[in-house]
Amino acid sequence: MHKSAKLTLITALGVSVAMVVAACGSGRTDNTTTSSQPSESSSSQESSAPADSGESSATSSAAGDTGSAGSGATIAIGTTDKVVSLDPAGSYDNGSLMLELQLYQFLMNIPAGQSTPTPDAAQSCDFTDNGATYTCKMKEGLTFSNGDPLTAKDVAFSFQRVVDINDPNGPASLLGNMKSVAAPDDSTVVFTLVNANDQTWPFVLGTSAGPIVDSKVYPADKLLSDEQAVGSGPYKLDSYSKNELVSLVPNASYNGNGGDVKNAGVTLQYFTDASNLKLAVQQGDVDVAWRTLDPQSITDLKSNDKVKVLEGPGGEDRYIVFNLKTMPGDNDAQKLAIRRAIAYSVDRQALATKVFQDQYQPAYSMVPDGFPGHVDAFKDEFGDAPNKDAAAKALSDAGVTTPVTLPIEYNPDHYGSASDLQFNEIKSQLEATGLFKVNLQSSEWTTYSKERTQDAYPIYQLGWYPDFPDADNYLTPFLAPNNFVQAHYCDADAAEGSRPCDTDGVLPLLTTEQTQSGDARISAIEQIQQISATGVMPTLPLLQGKQIAVTGTDVTGVQDTLDATFLFRFWMIGKNS
Amino acid sequence: MASTTARAGSLPRYLLTRLALVIPMVWILITLVFFLMRGIGDPITASLGGRLPADQLRARIHAAGYDRPILVQYGDYLWKLLHGDLGTTVTDNRPVTEVLRVNGAATLELAFWAFLVALAIGIPLGRIAARHRDRIPDVFLRVSGVLFYAAPVFFVGLLGKLVFSIWLDWLPVSGRASAKTILAINHVSPKTNIYLIDAILYGEPSYIWDVLWHTIMPAITLGLLVGGIFLRLVRTNLLQTMKDDYVEAARARGVKEGRINRKHAFKNAMVPVVTVMGLQAALLLGGAILTEETFEWQGLGYMLAQYLIKRDFVAVQGIVTVMAIVVVVASFVIDVITALIDPRVRYK
Repeated sequence: MHKSAKLTLITALGVSVAMVVAACGSGRTDNTTTSSQPSESSSSQESSAPADSGESSATSSAAGDTGSAGSGATIAIGTTDKVVSLDPAGSYDNGSLMLELQLYQFLMNIPAGQSTPTPDAAQSCDFTDNGATYTCKMKEGLTFSNGDPLTAKDVAFSFQRVVDINDPNGPASLLGNMKSVAAPDDSTVVFTLVNANDQTWPFVLGTSAGPIVDSKVYPADKLLSDEQAVGSGPYKLDSYSKNELVSLVPNASYNGNGGDVKNAGVTLQYFTDASNLKLAVQQGDVDVAWRTLDPQSITDLKSNDKVKVLEGPGGEDRYIVFNLKTMPGDNDAQKLAIRRAIAYSVDRQALATKVFQDQYQPAYSMVPDGFPGHVDAFKDEFGDAPNKDAAAKALSDAGVTTPVTLPIEYNPDHYGSASDLQFNEIKSQLEATGLFKVNLQSSEWTTYSKERTQDAYPIYQLGWYPDFPDADNYLTPFLAPNNFVQAHYCDADAAEGSRPCDTDGVLPLLTTEQTQSGDARISAIEQIQQISATGVMPTLPLLQGKQIAVTGTDVTGVQDTLDATFLFRFWMIGKNS
Repeated sequence: MASTTARAGSLPRYLLTRLALVIPMVWILITLVFFLMRGIGDPITASLGGRLPADQLRARIHAAGYDRPILVQYGDYLWKLLHGDLGTTVTDNRPVTEVLRVNGAATLELAFWAFLVALAIGIPLGRIAARHRDRIPDVFLRVSGVLFYAAPVFFVGLLGKLVFSIWLDWLPVSGRASAKTILAINHVSPKTNIYLIDAILYGEPSYIWDVLWHTIMPAITLGLLVGGIFLRLVRTNLLQTMKDDYVEAARARGVKEGRINRKHAFKNAMVPVVTVMGLQAALLLGGAILTEETFEWQGLGYMLAQYLIKRDFVAVQGIVTVMAIVVVVASFVIDVITALIDPRVRYK
């Protein structure tokens, strides 16, 4: 036989075999017909029969907040937020929490549109024993999606294993105020607190540390692989390819405070490049693009008729931090004058518009706009527009020779690609006053995050994303002793009484807002914000981020979940038929 | 007889020498990667440096063992490596072996198609260029070959996306398959993670088509890179062969130029080309990193870039080690083939 004929024959045979195999579907393990939706099958939860049966009526709560199995269309969501782990003991990041919120229940969490936690898996929760303990009563008849009953013992197990495993990527640090947790019976959970009456504790229950796991499935001393994740949330895993594609189907036994599931399931597709995510939503490959599109992409999409750009309040703040020891100035008075002169000189609105194309908004307080107790303290003290005369007066009154050379450090690879533009704009604004000469430098993230706490940067950029949506999470980490900023505002090892936090008088107010509720708490939060602007002023808030989601024109419900909690609730999303 | 024995013994000796060199090459590489990665930070600071106070960060770093003496960590790493334990990634809690298996299959699939594209471009165009030496087609193809090779992969990829995905809307923007296809082919057994095979096993023609459709642009983008090299190589070797005595003899016998080219010169010209083709494994892997990033093709290159950004040295070490072994083994195999084909190599 001629060689070319042989080749043709072999090729034809190969193609034929492939076609026969394809026609037979010899390797498929599902029972769906080719025209059916792949998401109707289950690959990752073999023991989910009870949950699939739809027998959820037994778990209806008195509060009437039982969810229902979803209906309508399957929603495709695209994101750049990757998962570290679906085991709550091993994750403390936005990407993992986004999925955990869909898969697990919490004792308490915050429903859409509200600002305080309400019972989710719990029937009720309250401080007991004069605030030394926090006790939750469980709803009756809760089950995990695999059919196992969910009891108080599972809750105690879930919190204890977060502390015991203490994974380097885990949220154990959020449970710093938990002395112990116990389940005296199947319906009662008791947390013994280190600091009594901790008003942030109900919020902590809804953070990365709070998902309730099945004690029959999750090992007590190590992490469970993602594919085996089992919870009692609105959804259960249907198919899981880590950080590539996840399919969720409604959990018929869900009985939480989230309400009905308004879709037949969700596919979550992961992107690395924001421009690919933009193209995917633009071309209809995904129904929703959620975190994180760059400012230019969002501006482009705003003029596209095929999509809607939705905005919500955001809690991601951007600051300038002053190292109170190493910043320019011969003495404390001069250093304060320089800080105040900078505060008079920056134009936040210009930063928001020119650099971020209004995807950030000016921040005039340590507590973001939209939170209970928020006041525009920096606007009251310094105005909302640059004031060169006031800046010059502050400097001359303190005897500061101008122009003052300001060494400012920023990070270009952690706080978004616009950091370069942002800090060059700040440099321009400060130098335009003629009072400053800015020496701008940048460092990559791992170096930056180490050096900034070792007095290497006199003035530097800082960003903050909250652990939970409460004003305290924007105050304590910045102002309390041994705080996260570590720029010598409240050093734990310095003599008490002479530290800036002592002279400002913020510590009693922090205690008040942490341990009291109602008006007393709100008043303390307001006072702390005012002091942070009028006192030593260790930190200058600049910008507050917005939450932005881009959806197809037929997608509903996304706007409702874009609230100050930063929780993206898949179950609220639907499609117009 | 003595001469024959010497020849017979030289090949094993040559191969043993080459094999012995493989081990220090891999060791040097993994050692370099280990120390370089430790010099650019740790994954815990990279992910949580903006959220936790310094003392909590230190506690987590200590718990993970990243503050132990570097030589202790190195010894521990080598010991585990020798026992086949590549560890678990720090930043997404996956066994490195799983990353290699799942994402390695994606890279293999891309490399296969890219190699086919490179052959489809390089060999026929190289022949045409040689046949039309120093004429317009030759000049055009030589310039094209240089452009294919020199143009950055990500640039070609972005250009392709702009034209074929956005302007013309012919091809998908990114990914290995559409979500529906991926969800479906997850239900095959055995699952190879090579999507084309999985789609064939699933047995739904539209899914096979979907996988192929997603493969076109990444394969062409990466294939052009290697195809440019093949084009120039085939042309040069063919021109060289066409000057050989046996070709002249064939011409003297009146054999037509086309037949000489097709039946005699081309096959001989391809011998050195075949060996060079094997050596393009490193280029393919290097190019795959950029191609996979551009097209969100979740292969080893894509994962390597992600883990590097997160300073996940456990993952980076595992991936680089395997990539190094692939390149070194490919070089070894080429050495073997070359030695078998050309005895002169053994005597060098």
